[in-house]
Amino acid sequence: MFSRLILFACGAAAMFAAQPSQKIFPYAYTQEDLPNGLRIVTVPTDYPNVVALYIVVQTGSRNEIESGHTGFAHLFEHLMFKGTAKYSQDQYNHLIKKMGAESNAFTTDDYTCYQTVFSKEDLPTVLAMEADRFQNLKYPESEFKTETLAVFGEFNKNSSNPFVKMDEVMRDTAYTTHTYKHPTMGFLKDVQAMPQLYDYSLQFFNHYYRPEYTTIVLAGDVKSKTAHDMIVKNWGAWKRGDYKPEIPMEPPQGEAKTNDIAWPDQTLPLIAIAFKGPAYTDSAKDTAALDALSYLAFSETSELYQKLILQEQKADVLFASAPRQVDAGLFEVAARVKKMDDVPYVRDQILETIHNFQEKPVDEKRLDAVRQHIRYQLALSMDNSETIAQIVAEFVALRRTPDTLNKLFDVYSHLTPKDVQDAAAKFLTGNARTIVTLEHKEDAK
Amino acid sequence: MKTAYALLTAFIAIVLPAGAQMRVMAEPNHSPLVTFRIVFTVGAAADTPSKPGLAYLTAAMIANSGSKSLTYQQIEDAMFPLAADFSSQVDKEMTTFYGTTHVDHLDEYYKLIHGMLLDPGWREDDFKRVKDDCIHSIQSGLRNNDEELAKEVLYSDIYQGMPYAHYNGGTVSGLESITLDDVRGFYGSRYTQGVLILGLSGGFTPAFLEKVKADMRKLPPSIGMHTRHPEPGLIHGNRAIIVEKDTRATAISFGFPISCTRQNPDWPALLVASSYLGQHRMAGGVLYDEMREKRGLNYGDYSYIEYFPQGMYRMAAEQNLARRYQIFQIWIRPVHPENAKFALRLALYELDQLIKNGISEENFQMSRDFVSKYSALQLRTQSAQLGFAVDSLFYDSPAFIDALRAKLSKLTAAEVTRVARRYLRTKDLSIAIVANHAEDLRQQLASDDPSPMEYNTPKSQAILDVDKVVQKWPLDLKADSIQIVPAAQIFQ
Repeated sequence: MFSRLILFACGAAAMFAAQPSQKIFPYAYTQEDLPNGLRIVTVPTDYPNVVALYIVVQTGSRNEIESGHTGFAHLFEHLMFKGTAKYSQDQYNHLIKKMGAESNAFTTDDYTCYQTVFSKEDLPTVLAMEADRFQNLKYPESEFKTETLAVFGEFNKNSSNPFVKMDEVMRDTAYTTHTYKHPTMGFLKDVQAMPQLYDYSLQFFNHYYRPEYTTIVLAGDVKSKTAHDMIVKNWGAWKRGDYKPEIPMEPPQGEAKTNDIAWPDQTLPLIAIAFKGPAYTDSAKDTAALDALSYLAFSETSELYQKLILQEQKADVLFASAPRQVDAGLFEVAARVKKMDDVPYVRDQILETIHNFQEKPVDEKRLDAVRQHIRYQLALSMDNSETIAQIVAEFVALRRTPDTLNKLFDVYSHLTPKDVQDAAAKFLTGNARTIVTLEHKEDAK
Repeated sequence: MKTAYALLTAFIAIVLPAGAQMRVMAEPNHSPLVTFRIVFTVGAAADTPSKPGLAYLTAAMIANSGSKSLTYQQIEDAMFPLAADFSSQVDKEMTTFYGTTHVDHLDEYYKLIHGMLLDPGWREDDFKRVKDDCIHSIQSGLRNNDEELAKEVLYSDIYQGMPYAHYNGGTVSGLESITLDDVRGFYGSRYTQGVLILGLSGGFTPAFLEKVKADMRKLPPSIGMHTRHPEPGLIHGNRAIIVEKDTRATAISFGFPISCTRQNPDWPALLVASSYLGQHRMAGGVLYDEMREKRGLNYGDYSYIEYFPQGMYRMAAEQNLARRYQIFQIWIRPVHPENAKFALRLALYELDQLIKNGISEENFQMSRDFVSKYSALQLRTQSAQLGFAVDSLFYDSPAFIDALRAKLSKLTAAEVTRVARRYLRTKDLSIAIVANHAEDLRQQLASDDPSPMEYNTPKSQAILDVDKVVQKWPLDLKADSIQIVPAAQIFQ
């Protein structure tokens, strides 16, 4: 089995070399597939003692295809801490405590990730515990029902944030069919209905918590061979599944959409303008080009930021995010505006900026600055094993390999001003646009 | 690559000759990154009383404005390709400017931050923007974050009558009254060599360090004695503030000031007691188990013996929040309004159980082992290592994590119990709540009526037996000791 292990390596020095095609991920890593479909990625780093284990399950709110079941991938993230016959929840928590480890998890549109950070001597115990819960999770209906209340509590603690509300309404307005229509937390009515869905939860586990959906990422003070032997021992018998969800395709939008939110508490008004973007790609230039555009048009060095935030001071927040998701996500620009009367002006300024990028290619030097920013941002963040595991996990969630990162940044290296212009013209069109505003109103409910 | 982690123990404190009192925490290593933590041991406690927010606005102005030679726009343009920034943080007794750059850009980066910190531009348009940002961070930011709002209200309330008694970010009216001359005055009189700790870590040369030190000596010398703030006053009886707003759930934090800081020999034992009650955002604490796991009351419940802002965003505390007077706090994450009284009672009951019964040998060993190993994990980044080292200077506790682990290895369960009984209590509390229908809640809290729980699933007899006690647990709150403040007026 080990003979099929592939070794990927590149020197750290390559990271900042002038040649555009060299790899950006500076660590040598190993990647292998067990016969059951489980993938293992091991990234030995220079940081002593600490090991970060990130287990990526390619199941997120995108997989919630049945009506009335939104939020279930996230609920399942909670249920994974409910214990097994071998390690009860209490025993699991006690062992984590005894190790002085950090254990947590998070869920996104596209994946669920289980993180444990610990000292290297605890690797055998952690891998055995994790293997057990991924294969033998067991929880009674009473514990399931109680956990749904903790999830409701999480929903409630997020609900006081107007940006969370903006995200929920934007998705619901922009999409008609695809599961990106709902937030990862789920719709309120579905979260409230969760306690009745115990049987569905068992089915969810049976469908998605399978080796072919799962990649184990280990980064830190760890040796690939050691990790391999322990994983084969603990995870080798895990049975492959056969479930493949049919994620509904989103039809072309066809017309511009708008929505307005009345917010009961004091806040400056918010505006978000979103466009249907591409699904993640590193074989075409769409993803990289839109990401570059988000920096060029809306980052702190953009003309619009300098105008709206620094000179005119009409807004105090401006940012854009480009999609990097399995299916077609949203390219979104958001601003917090100081006066309600200026919201139309800020909206028009954002739209005019997009129009200008569609009409005229950007200066090559500015594109170079974006490339340099992205490279150094990555270098500055990779100063510990946990962040390295986190970055690898994000790209593993898309294509199951850290080389995804290299491929995307290779596309960046070859990006031209015309690519950015073309992406703006292709995706940021009126018929793919949704605008949502949020305004404080005393009597809002 | 030899890492900063491995060289942590090589941290050195250099005390400059008499007359130049700047302290230097320099840790050269072979990392490709260089981290700055430039800390002035002066903060919000030094605000002019009529202008709360002065220290915060001054620091924000330095970190978000132009220098004499460059506009802020030019600085942003120069920082962008480096992916670097220069940020500020203000607590009661510390103002920190921090940033990390790749060593490739060290000279370029340092030139920028040198100008920002030592030669500020003081432009009116920068001032207007930064002041607006500070005001909006209260009006639109904090007031729309129920958990952080409840915690900040608690942090202010427990220090009534001393200079810690206001939000570090100030008040809306205080910020509105601050002029650019006020900010320049605070900078000129408070950012002095005598209160400066220069923290530098990473791949820099000795010559670079000497240059930075020489530059920092251009700051004015400290004049006069450093203020020693009075101790926090006593809280007499339980009191509560309900911040009223239109919100789905009820966020609760409660606590009181404690005199035990990292300098105190009792601190390791108190840390173990607090971790046993509830380690920040981790499963396995008593509060988490009893409130969330067994009863589904909310998303989590934790205990603290130090100021811990931004807890909903951070897994570990930020460094350089060192202060002479600390806080004991229990954070109850938002609960359904109908369960608020029970949740508060249950948290007090569990705190009381620890004080009355002490910690068992088994729980002691588990919590002690956790704290010991987890404390080492806190040193994951170069910036965190440098932050801890700077705090060690403040608390005069060299090699803090190593010393902590050595003390933990000698600790006993009896010692943890003794320390918990000495510093913790279930009376004379300040309680901060963010909720809707505040008057109804006030009436509930002031009444001795039981607050039974209704569950969506049968519970064990053990849980129900505890509930019978908890639902009648005395809160000792009188209606006139419960203040209601509309959210729009909080920190106004």
